[in-house]
Amino acid sequence: MPRVLLLLPTTSYRTEAFLDAAVQVGVDVTVASEQANTLGHLNPAALLTLDFNDPQSAAQRVCAFARRYAIDAVVPVDSQVVEVGATIAAALGLRHNSIDSARCAGDKHHARQRFQRAGVPAPAFSLCSFDEDRAALAARIPYPCVIKPLSGAGSQGVMRADGPTQFVPAVDRLAAILKCASTAPHEPPAPREFLVEQFVGGPEVALEGLLTEGALKTLALFDKPDPLDGPFFEETIYVTPSRLDDATQQRIARCAQQAACAIGLTDGPVHAELRLPPGGPSVIEVNPRSIGGLCSRVLRFGTGLSLEELIIRHALQEHQELPRLQGQPAGVMMIPIPRAGKLGEIRGLDEARGVSGIEGVTISAHLGQTLVPLPEGAQYLGFLFARAESSTAVEAILRAAHACLEFVIDP
Amino acid sequence: MSTAEISITGEPISEATCRFTVDRPVYPDKSFAFLNKEKAEGSPLAERLFAIDGISRVIIAHDQVTVNKTVAGEWPGIGRSIGIVIREHLATGDPAVSDAVWEDMPSSDEIRASVQQVLDSEVNPSVAEHGGVIRLIDVQENRVYIQMGGGCQGCGQADVTLKFGIENSIRASVPEVAEILDVTDHAAGRNPYYTPSKK
Repeated sequence: MPRVLLLLPTTSYRTEAFLDAAVQVGVDVTVASEQANTLGHLNPAALLTLDFNDPQSAAQRVCAFARRYAIDAVVPVDSQVVEVGATIAAALGLRHNSIDSARCAGDKHHARQRFQRAGVPAPAFSLCSFDEDRAALAARIPYPCVIKPLSGAGSQGVMRADGPTQFVPAVDRLAAILKCASTAPHEPPAPREFLVEQFVGGPEVALEGLLTEGALKTLALFDKPDPLDGPFFEETIYVTPSRLDDATQQRIARCAQQAACAIGLTDGPVHAELRLPPGGPSVIEVNPRSIGGLCSRVLRFGTGLSLEELIIRHALQEHQELPRLQGQPAGVMMIPIPRAGKLGEIRGLDEARGVSGIEGVTISAHLGQTLVPLPEGAQYLGFLFARAESSTAVEAILRAAHACLEFVIDP
Repeated sequence: MSTAEISITGEPISEATCRFTVDRPVYPDKSFAFLNKEKAEGSPLAERLFAIDGISRVIIAHDQVTVNKTVAGEWPGIGRSIGIVIREHLATGDPAVSDAVWEDMPSSDEIRASVQQVLDSEVNPSVAEHGGVIRLIDVQENRVYIQMGGGCQGCGQADVTLKFGIENSIRASVPEVAEILDVTDHAAGRNPYYTPSKK
């Protein structure tokens, strides 16, 4: 039976989805995390500990492990393990994205440089230092702009500024966010640089795809009906299939393909986010990973395959015609954290579950949890899942179910 | 019953394993794993399946028959033979699994004691490092119900701990156990060791 190495950070939302998929595919699994499982000593073939911040040492460790338990595929499940995944795959001689492309995808500045060189439409950008005089920097930046960390996901630390009076506090705030994050165990030191991008207006979409030897096949295109105009960029509703016309969808797919090619990505999942200003699609992000949170639950392909099953089978190089997304429109709402505090009580769960068309309500935050909203926060309260006869109906169902929920948050 | 009326879908889940789903119950609401040919003696369907060259393991569960093979060869060829055996068996009206297999099975109380021993000696001392605890809630026939508490309840890694830690330990010591079911209300966990975050 083939063995798949799942690179699974201990704080991943994707654990259950990938483990269930591995069972469905029928493979042996080794789970590698950055911290030891307390039962790891009882099952050393299945539970491995790796330093995700040191790809070379992780690759050496996996190579030694693979001499005893042969590994047939490496699947990194989140952004933070993309580079280590590529390094391990290269050391084992398995088909995968190159280390260079994986590293580039994880660095927003390098990725944008490659977009620029390849002529991929993307926001104008400049690399800035926290050591620069912020008032002087604010005076020469074009507005409106978006301030971003060089790495990360989920819009953590991403802020819009419409002028110098917003820019300086936003940079101060980003510096504090990165400093705080760097104090956590196993985290590298806080970076000294950040990215300032031109704010690009218009609706936003997310493309989910799979690369095979450089060719990108779109698996699903999601509309994001809630405007993402700042000051923070909280993602909420995703609905597929997109309501955009076919020509626009094709332009989006071509743009995502160009962006993946510019970075050098060749194999595996791709999650791309694009803005749609009047002049045509503009690439915001292209990452060699699948959609985050629990969002993939709404996707079913062919006879019922999950996105994670497709990814594992693809990593195993099982030759297959990629199945089509199942027909009925579906959507997910990532429930935003409305304010900081401790989660005291959740009301209206039964009512939300009772909304016609709702397939599931999952609360991923726990009672008593300290909630931190964007831009500092990196968590969701939970997820709503819906399916209906049209994408418009899916969106309405998600909003109706969300309106049933009340989160009591104690200061 | 005409064997032609019986619909069977084969789904290879690996080179070694294929699951056959039948359009009607084969062993209603029950499951049994035949880990070798000797164990199949007296159970008509399992005996017939083991008579096919290269079959190494058979699991019969409600409307599914999962078969492992050790020989080379594509599933479609072997699958046809398996389909014929399943159809012929159903046409006889005989039970798929002999009640006698359960006679060799340890009692629920014996399984309960063995599982509790594994939890006490191997599992709980380790998960306690993260403030966790695994409780044995019930054993029904060879089906085990457990509950994860403390740091394990609602933990982002609970599924890994369950599938690769707890299940592995229990099955290694008590091979008669069939399913291990987690009945934890993870959403009610107040102090999970790992909380998911977007990265």
